[in-house]
Amino acid sequence: MIPTVGGAKALLSLRSVSHEFVADGLRVPALEDVDLDVPDGQFLAVVGPSGCGKSTLLSLIAGLRRPSRGTVFCGGEPVTAPMPRKIGMVFQEANLLPWLSAIDNVAFPLKLRGVPARQRREAAARMLALTGLAGFEDRLPHQLSGGMKQRVAIARGLVQDPAVLLMDEPFASLDEQTRMVLGDELLRIWSETRKTVVFVTHSLSEAVYLADRVVVLSARPGRIVDDIEVNLPRPRTFSLTSSEHFGTLRERIWRHIRSGERR
Amino acid sequence: MRRSERLVVAAAALGAVLGWEALVRRGWIDGGLAPAPSVIAPALVALLTRPEVLTSLGVTAWEILASFMIAVPVGFFIGFTLAEVPFLGGLLRPLVNFLFGVPKSIFLPVFILVFGVTITQKIAFGVFTTLFVVITGGIAAVESVPRELLTVSRVYGATRWQMVREIYLPAMAPILLESARLGMIFNITAVLLCEIYGARDGIGYRIAAWGENVQMPQLYAALLVVAAGAVAVNEALRVVEARIGRWRSVP
Repeated sequence: MIPTVGGAKALLSLRSVSHEFVADGLRVPALEDVDLDVPDGQFLAVVGPSGCGKSTLLSLIAGLRRPSRGTVFCGGEPVTAPMPRKIGMVFQEANLLPWLSAIDNVAFPLKLRGVPARQRREAAARMLALTGLAGFEDRLPHQLSGGMKQRVAIARGLVQDPAVLLMDEPFASLDEQTRMVLGDELLRIWSETRKTVVFVTHSLSEAVYLADRVVVLSARPGRIVDDIEVNLPRPRTFSLTSSEHFGTLRERIWRHIRSGERR
Repeated sequence: MRRSERLVVAAAALGAVLGWEALVRRGWIDGGLAPAPSVIAPALVALLTRPEVLTSLGVTAWEILASFMIAVPVGFFIGFTLAEVPFLGGLLRPLVNFLFGVPKSIFLPVFILVFGVTITQKIAFGVFTTLFVVITGGIAAVESVPRELLTVSRVYGATRWQMVREIYLPAMAPILLESARLGMIFNITAVLLCEIYGARDGIGYRIAAWGENVQMPQLYAALLVVAAGAVAVNEALRVVEARIGRWRSVP
């Protein structure tokens, strides 16, 4: 059975997902009873106080960990291991292979799948062009700026044309200007590719600015305490961030976070 | 090195040779203990045309090569095992660390008792000395592999073998080469020490004999040959290292 949200097919579904870590013989609950349906093409942001299990949530969806209880579905199929064809991932650090050029980094997922060299170069070049890096194909990672590296990582996440792009605080280690430029770039790429995006961030403005919907997790163990639809018009522009509605949404998330941190 | 730097180095070397020559001629340096370059040069030519000396060089080269070819793969294998198998690592790594600090030369008499004064003994002692450097390098190489890159490759569906080939090997290559190069320095030292201490052939054996008989021109000529050989090997390995580790350097 494929779960549905308001009649539309959910691409990603989490069904009472809980996760615990075992550290020094102690069981530390990280996530508790998370139920979540993400329709195809939605840009979902996940926020919450630090240590609330946001990143754990992403690694469960990515199939890097199995939940202690509950199931993650992607396209109706339970996720038990990474699904490279369906799910791409971008991390806080670009995590490029430092010995490969930009284009070979983007082509890396295709190489693992055994795609012939010429085809994968063509696909990787297209992705670099999409992320605004045409002309930088042969640079090594240490010859690229932080923002450019993250663009390469996004291109790598998209090169297999996956249905879902998971982003784990992808702009957190960039300076504010680069972060804003890349946010707009991400929205452009998203509007051209219409992927389902799950975007973990600790920046409330970033969440509201980018997403269709913001899910707020409580402090550890992470539970969904609010699920907010961001009904701001698209394309989003910088002037929106000073609108009253933007402020109200930010305010609403902030109240959850503050009460979570105080506990 | 830039062109101008190279010129400076070459000029300094030439100056040292000429200065030495001058000092010996003026009698400020005892030519009996340190013969002038003009005396060493013909000895060097004579040395390199004597078949028995060339044979000795061949014996030494063979011992060094054989020991290296054994020590490097064995050492890396042990290093990888200690790094990847926590139980063995916990048990044996302190031992490796202790032995690393012990001068290996004190074990030389044991090797003579076990293997006799043979080529096998030289190779075995070379392996023994080199092994610890290479094991330590192997462990460091495995530990230098960024965990995040393994996670990335898992997300994109890498098999175990693909992780080894696409992540582990390229990430470890520069450190492996570096430790192989350091191992080679220890290896050459060990083999020559063996030959000087007791041998039937090899350039170290000849160096010891010329020294005992105070045949200084031959002795210095042989030192030059050995030094040139060691420098050449070291620099060649360094060139490969720099090329393979190009991605590590910030331009």
